[in-house]
Amino acid sequence: MSILIDKSTRVVVQGITGNQGRYDTQLALNYGVNIVAGVTPGRGGEEVEGVPVFDTVAAAVADTDANAAVLYVPVSGVCDAVTEAAEAGIRVILATTENVPRHDAVRAVAAARNAGAWLVGFNTNGVISPGKCKIGGIGGDNPDALYPSGRIGVVSRSGGMSAEIAMALKASGHGVSTAVSMGGDRTTGRSMCEYLELFEADDETDAMVIYGEPGTGNEAEVAAAIRSNRLRKPVVAIVAGRFQENHPRGVSFGHVAAMIGDEADSASAKIRLLKESGAEIASSLDEIGQALERRLG
Amino acid sequence: MNLTEDIAKRLMRRFSLPVPDGAAGETAGKVGELAAEFGGTVALKALLPTGRRGKSGLVRLVDAADAESVATEMLGRETELGLVDRIYVEKGADIAQELYLAFSFSDRMPMLTISIDGGVEIEQVHAATPERIVTVPIDPLKGLRPWEAIDLWSRAGLTGRALADVGRLTSRLWRAFVDLDAEMIEINPLAISGAGDLSMVGTMIQIDDGALGRHPELSDFPSQRPDNPRERLVDEANRSNPGGDARYVELDGDIGLLVAGGGAGLLQHDMIVDLGGQPANHSDTSPAPGTAKTEAVLDAVFSNPRSRSLLIGYNHLQMAPVDRVVEALANSVQRNNVDTSKFPIILRLFGPRETEARALADRIGGITYLPSGTSLSEGARAIVEATRKIVAEHGEGAKT
Repeated sequence: MSILIDKSTRVVVQGITGNQGRYDTQLALNYGVNIVAGVTPGRGGEEVEGVPVFDTVAAAVADTDANAAVLYVPVSGVCDAVTEAAEAGIRVILATTENVPRHDAVRAVAAARNAGAWLVGFNTNGVISPGKCKIGGIGGDNPDALYPSGRIGVVSRSGGMSAEIAMALKASGHGVSTAVSMGGDRTTGRSMCEYLELFEADDETDAMVIYGEPGTGNEAEVAAAIRSNRLRKPVVAIVAGRFQENHPRGVSFGHVAAMIGDEADSASAKIRLLKESGAEIASSLDEIGQALERRLG
Repeated sequence: MNLTEDIAKRLMRRFSLPVPDGAAGETAGKVGELAAEFGGTVALKALLPTGRRGKSGLVRLVDAADAESVATEMLGRETELGLVDRIYVEKGADIAQELYLAFSFSDRMPMLTISIDGGVEIEQVHAATPERIVTVPIDPLKGLRPWEAIDLWSRAGLTGRALADVGRLTSRLWRAFVDLDAEMIEINPLAISGAGDLSMVGTMIQIDDGALGRHPELSDFPSQRPDNPRERLVDEANRSNPGGDARYVELDGDIGLLVAGGGAGLLQHDMIVDLGGQPANHSDTSPAPGTAKTEAVLDAVFSNPRSRSLLIGYNHLQMAPVDRVVEALANSVQRNNVDTSKFPIILRLFGPRETEARALADRIGGITYLPSGTSLSEGARAIVEATRKIVAEHGEGAKT
């Protein structure tokens, strides 16, 4: 196993005729990914890298049984593209677009959840289950070098940091079951904890490494799940951004709505919560290997 | 982006939402004139795009006749919230009851926060009696209909004639929240007069920066531009080159940073601070196509009088070619006449087209391009040491 994607994943690429869509499609095909369709409205009937292009996701699904979608669409179209994929019955939707306006983002998240789809992103560079499948640009032109296969699950709020973590794992003799760049935007389709719950249930994952940052309730939710034993497998956490606490940036709105949400928002607060819950804290990438050894023996 | 109150209220009027009459003045004379027009009691509010003004003495209720002299005291004051250079003059409101009303976001949902205990003490209400504040998520696909808002206010304890009006106003404000792409709208107080009329006396609006592109009517308020000339330079590059924005914020240290990918930037910054180094700025640039924004950040670093060195520290790039970054560096080094023997530049830059990037860095000369596989912490250590050395050799203060 692995989480979200494996050998049975059939990928449709929304926006396949654009530069990034075409480039990533080519790299994914080289990696052996089963890309069965592309979608660009008005370009139905064409082919890109040998992949048939359709006008709508529904048409692509009807013809190819695609069950995962990768979106390379501009920010103005991303909410519609997620909703279209979700309603066409796609199970895993990866939205690479960054800085998606909040209102669009929450609408897309709600549409995906209502349809029972798993939305990864926004601002993700992908998900990789080494040796089985990858969606998005994750791993670049050499996924095998960056992401050797193994038994550690990775969930990162930064796409680049998922690669850095994978390299640190490799250096300490570990590999990856699935690595997820969950999205760097404030609003993401799923929370960090929801990914960890998938890893908890995955019999090919022994432990998880997470990368967190200031802002959002993601890390606090993980700490709560560890405390309540919903997560029993070891979690190694690296949380960046402590320096921000020394530099109050201007003065923000003194509003109750933000006050309620901000209590656990700083990197230090997150590190404290995770540590208290029993997670292993790595203060640099080089410490990840030792932290895993402490817990896995 | 936080809007100042004059702009926020102008927008609210456009949505037919009730706000008191008011206008902005830049001189005490103008403030006096406006106050005389309104007559009676007027509110003078320092036009700073922040909350907590009431608590900082930046909102004064005065008789119209005294407005000019009070404005003289307020204008030009340097406060912890910023320089007071404009005053919003507002007709005094008849307030019988104060409510609190705000729309904002949790990680994944829009949120409504309401209370019948509005006013400047709302934070204390939250601390002492949190049950007096009702917070509920709003389904973004359905919105907030008037009868739903009425039900929520009823749960918050509002009764009587005001309930229907407040509910309808709340639903209308939801539409404004969506249409303006606001990240936050806070009405405090939402005043109910003795006669039962509603007025949004305190109105704060924060627009989602990520949505400014589709609101040309909001994107060009001069007061929103950064004061720091180098931050402004980067801001201008962002405005003239759409797509992922570059961020550049100046700090007090001496290590210039061009870091990217969010995560690696944060982590390197933490490591530098832990090693005793002091960044001159924080930055976050997308390695996306086009070098204009990268060059703007580099120009800012090189022209910042405090910076003495530069670390270009990226994640291992998976999608974008790294030689574009070195190209930007070459251009900026030349444009700013940087002497690399006195201004150490260290690169941790791995990924596609790295060979080309290394060749280009060699041609610039005097650059330390760390070997492939160097960790983020080793990169942080290298720049802290190089900076220490250059400061020891050439002294603190202005660079040569």
